[in-house]
Amino acid sequence: MAFGLIGRVVGTKPSRLSTAARLIPARWTSTGSEAQSKASSGGGGANLKTFQIYRWNPDNPGKPELQDYKIDLKDCGPMVLDALIKIKNEMDPSLTFRRSCREGICGSCAMNIDGCNGLACLTKIESGSKETTITPLPHMFVIKDLVVDMTNFYNQYKSIEPWLKRKNPASVPGKEILQSKKDRAKLDGMYECILCACCSTSCPSYWWNPESYLGPAALLHANRWISDSRDEYTKERLEAIDDEFKLYRCHTILNCARACPKGLNPGKQITHIKQLQQSG
Amino acid sequence: MGASKLSGMQKQVLSLYRGFLRAARSKPIEDRKRIEMIVSTEFRHNSKEVDRKNFQYIEYLLRLGTKQLDQLKSPDIVSLSSVKVVASKS
Repeated sequence: MAFGLIGRVVGTKPSRLSTAARLIPARWTSTGSEAQSKASSGGGGANLKTFQIYRWNPDNPGKPELQDYKIDLKDCGPMVLDALIKIKNEMDPSLTFRRSCREGICGSCAMNIDGCNGLACLTKIESGSKETTITPLPHMFVIKDLVVDMTNFYNQYKSIEPWLKRKNPASVPGKEILQSKKDRAKLDGMYECILCACCSTSCPSYWWNPESYLGPAALLHANRWISDSRDEYTKERLEAIDDEFKLYRCHTILNCARACPKGLNPGKQITHIKQLQQSG
Repeated sequence: MGASKLSGMQKQVLSLYRGFLRAARSKPIEDRKRIEMIVSTEFRHNSKEVDRKNFQYIEYLLRLGTKQLDQLKSPDIVSLSSVKVVASKS
């Protein structure tokens, strides 16, 4: 895809985007380019889409606003992240957002697109002329534009002690602790979590108690370690989260399963923990 | 002589300021003076510049300050320093 874009930039003049805020690259200065692009934009600039993006700058603090940007979808990749990068490159370099892998594995670009939490690199731009609204993850403190403060989320993940804990050393010292295929299959649906925070920030229960309720992501990881056959501190882990607020704020709203960009089901894992608490 | 009743947010700002001064006390004396100087100029500058009703920005500054204070409290950190950047119009 990147190769195709480079080919287009070299071969043709860029189509002028009709918005107030844009950066005119210094390379394309000749009047010949202007005349050519005016001729082409009449027919080529047909597929314009408006993006309304949440902006708030801590250096000039005022009220946060939704700013409009128009993008020609013919000149842009299919995903929302492509549109954001295009806006930042060509129209407004001050737009701030997190991104890294562009393939849905790092979890950096998690944001709220048209009301649903998801990864910008995996969410396709909806075709049609309806405006797309992009806001940061809901009910999180905003650092700038689309970047939110994730420290509380990471601290909650840290608090469940997401590492292997054993009382007895390995049966063959210096070698791996063996695990049957059936036991390894128990971890499927939990190890794939990329800690993007889409699920936790879509949970209304987490919105109302972000400091005391652990949230679906942390509880999914807690279940991952509880269900791991190699871990010997299962009872202690269950007791640690057997709390009115840490676990039982979950009312099976199941927004988390809907929001997860990797298709995981944190609600199911939380139900599993609750069943273990009942029986154990 | 006493100030009128302080709002919750004002109390948070004051307790953050106190936290910084207490953290400064645990550092060597040369660095302690520098930390106190930087922190007091920052707080005084913000108290003049920032509108009292701009809750979002004040909360943002409080969170930023709390994170910096947690870093400062760690025994590995020795001192603070600040650099003044003047944006040029060229």
